[in-house]
Order: sequence, then structure tokens, then C-alpha cells
Amino acid sequence: MVFAKKVKKIYCLSVLSLFSFVSLSQTLTVGFIDFPPHIALHEEYKDSPLYQYINEVFLQADFNVVYVKLPRERAFTELIKGRVDVLMPTSIPSNHETVRTLSFPLFHTVPGLCFKKENYIPILSATHRFEKLNIGVPAGSQLVAALTDSQANLIPLKGEDVTSRGVELTQRGRLDAFYHPSPVKVYHQENPLYKEVACSYFHGYSTPIYIAIANTMSKETFTAINQIFQKAMLEEPYEYYFAMRK
Amino acid sequence: MTLSSIKKIALKVVCFLFASIYLISFNLHANDAQMKSLINDITKMYMSSMVYVFKSQPIINDKNIDKKELLGKRFIDNIKQTYLAKYNEEFPKEDHFVKTVLLQAMVEVMDDNKALLYDDEIGFKGIIPATFAFQLSAKLSTKGVGLKIKFTRTAGQIRNKLNRPDSWESSVMKKIQNNPKIYYDENALLNGRPAIRQFTPLPMAHYCLACHGIPDNNPLNAGKKRSEWTNIDITGFEMENWTIDDFGGGVSISIEKSVLE
Repeated sequence: MVFAKKVKKIYCLSVLSLFSFVSLSQTLTVGFIDFPPHIALHEEYKDSPLYQYINEVFLQADFNVVYVKLPRERAFTELIKGRVDVLMPTSIPSNHETVRTLSFPLFHTVPGLCFKKENYIPILSATHRFEKLNIGVPAGSQLVAALTDSQANLIPLKGEDVTSRGVELTQRGRLDAFYHPSPVKVYHQENPLYKEVACSYFHGYSTPIYIAIANTMSKETFTAINQIFQKAMLEEPYEYYFAMRK
Repeated sequence: MTLSSIKKIALKVVCFLFASIYLISFNLHANDAQMKSLINDITKMYMSSMVYVFKSQPIINDKNIDKKELLGKRFIDNIKQTYLAKYNEEFPKEDHFVKTVLLQAMVEVMDDNKALLYDDEIGFKGIIPATFAFQLSAKLSTKGVGLKIKFTRTAGQIRNKLNRPDSWESSVMKKIQNNPKIYYDENALLNGRPAIRQFTPLPMAHYCLACHGIPDNNPLNAGKKRSEWTNIDITGFEMENWTIDDFGGGVSISIEKSVLE
């Protein structure tokens, strides 16, 4: 019995020392992708709630962290090549399905429609109200069934900045609304576009947003990061932290 | 070994067996009582939040007023007050993590609506008890905590298809529709795993009829000539012509048993 206890103690100490070895000896490069209002890279990103939450998590584990801002187009290349160890916040694109993520999603996004304010439809389960509406949709994007099964005219939006195009066409009356996979990026109080449109959501169709991890990261480091993140999320989930921010 | 010592040993064994059976059965009953108590608390917390959202319609929809009562800790404090007034008892203690997750999800849902709440160019925001309840259900389903909450009604009478009842809910409503009472099932399944489930019928209230009743109940028709009345409610749906005596659907709550252990 005493022997078993000693073995258990030695095992626990070894695991703990392994984690402390991993954390103290390693510098992590964490890449951020622009995802307002969680992290806004055109502003001082250290004021963003996501940075503050994540930095607190890594501080507790004594990781030496270097943060970099990455454009969305390049971010996954940097991760795959191992030039960043951690990338967030991101859904996993279908062409990157082999990318590892931490086990808990960071938060969820809900798709929706953005309207000119005077044409606002607050409840999108009222799909009969879409009949004959001209709704812009990003070309090639996956849409929710509530929209594709409706009687709306879906008009593909092309170009690099589909959101700006959607806002512009909605303002000019050429569209009644436009689809956005995550309208919160547009419709939040810090965004100047908040004055232009009002968005509502297809609740029940959420997408998890993860912290992606480079495949080059060692199993021990991955486990260590996953555990500290899991612990932080159980103590205070990021979405709750975000909701309670001042 | 003498006969009397054998008798003594046999008696001890029998006593031990009875004591064991008593303890096991006591424990099972205690667990059952705890499970029932938890699911009741969750139901009442959820229903109190819906009532508070109903009572807050002026704050939700009015322009240029402070919305702080609807956000963060203040929102939860208001739900607690509503609970006290509705059930005449103290708000349940946060003694199980599913209660904590539920309260956190309530705060998160209202924060998700923050931009809309503060948008002074939008009048009716569409944050009504039914939509709040659905957003809360959708939010909880992303948490992976084995707690599922749904505000539902008999199939064919559901506005939001995603709220349609599952087979358990349909069969329960069939049983209780004519004699509405709480239905508790300690041997149900959720996502293929053992779960406790409870369906709490909601009596139709006058405020439900503002959307689901007849055009006379529609606040949009107030002060208008009958010829100008509409049977489309404020949310954009056709009114169902229900009356105060109709079955009001109910709150369906499921908790995986693994969560309770």
C-alpha cells in the first residue's frame, strides 16, 4: 500500500516536472487572426478581450509567448510550416481538415442576415418573410438550410471584400439583405458599419471556433497547452468572460 | 463449531445483508431525490428567465434607455428576483455545475444581443420569451455538458422548425395534453446515453395570445378599425387563433446521468 502510494507520488511529480520543463523551456509563437470584436488587429490588439484571456492563460503556465498578427490568407500556411505554434481564432477550413485543434472550442459563431435598418427582420425562423427578397450571399459559401429552402432570390457576391460589397449594395437598395457567416464581426458597437446595417441570426446553426495547433508541436507541449486551456475554460469559459467584460 | 455459534453467524450475515440492502436502497432514493430536485431547479430557473424577458419588453424595445438591467450580473439578479416572486422561495444554490453553466449561458445570450439592444434605430428587437428560450437552448447545446433544454409544443404547431418535439416529447405531450401535469422520466435517453428527462407543461397565458391568439389579441391592431386589422403578429408570423384554454406546450429538460454522478 505504502509502496503504491510512493509510486503514485513519484509519477505525479514526474508529470508535473515534465509540464514545468515543457513550459519553462519553450517559447510559443501565437498567431492572431482578425476577428472583431474578439480581437481587432487594426487597433491595439492587447486591448482585445481574446488577447487578454489567452495571455492570462499562458501566463499562469509560465510559457514564454510571442504574439504575431497574421492576415487570414497567410495564417494557415504559417501554421502548417510550423512558423507559428498556435493560431486563433479560427474555424477549420475544409482544405485544412488535418490541422489539430485544442479539444474545447474557444467560442461559437452563428450565421445571419444583415439588413438596412428600416427593413430589419428580427426573427429569422420566419422564413416566409424572405419571399422575393434579394439576398446577397458570398459566392461559394456554405449556407444554412433555412435560407436555401426559402423563397429568397440568392444573389452571389464576388470580390475580395464581400462584406463591404454587401453593405454597399444593401445601402443602395440593390439588395434587401446580405448573408454573413458571422455577423457579429459587422454588427457590434465598435464597428462604424454598426450605423449602416442591423443583423439578425440563424440561431441553432452555430460553428465552433478553435485554437489551432501546428502539427510540428510535440505531444507533450500539446498536452500541456490543452490541459491549461481546458482548466481555464472550466473555471471561466471564454464566452462568459467576453460577456462579463466592462 | 456449536449449533448456537452457527446461528449467531447466520444472524449476523442476515443482519448484514438487510443493512446493505437498506443502505443501497436509501442511497438510490437519495440519488433519485437529488436528480429530481436538480431538474426541478433547472426548470424553474429557465422559466423565471423567460418571465423576466417578458416583463422586460419595454426595456428591451424602448430607444435611448439604459439596458444594463439586461446584461451581466444585473440580469441574473433580476432573474433571481423574478424567481422569488414567482415561486415564493429563494433562488436555488449554485451547488451543481449545470446550474452554473445555465446562468452563464443566460448572460452570454443577452450579451450576444447587446448590439441589437443598444441599436436605437430598431424598435421591436424580437427578443421575446420564446426566442430567448431558443437562443438559450442553442447556446447550451454548444456547451457539451449533457444538459438540453427546449421550449416546445405538439408537432405541426411549431413556428421554429428547430424546436420540433422529439419522439419522447411527442409521446409525453400526447399523454398529458388533456390533463397537463409535470412528467418525469428517470430512465430516458439523451444522445443515446442514459438520462433523466422532465416535461413541464406551461399554461397558456394572456401574453402568449398577443402573438398566438386571435386578431383581437394582437397589439398591432389596437386603436385601428376592424377592417384594418391584421392576423400577422409583431414577429411576422400568422396568428394561430389559440385561446386561453389551449395546451401551451411546455419546457422539456434532459440531463445525462453521467453529469449527475
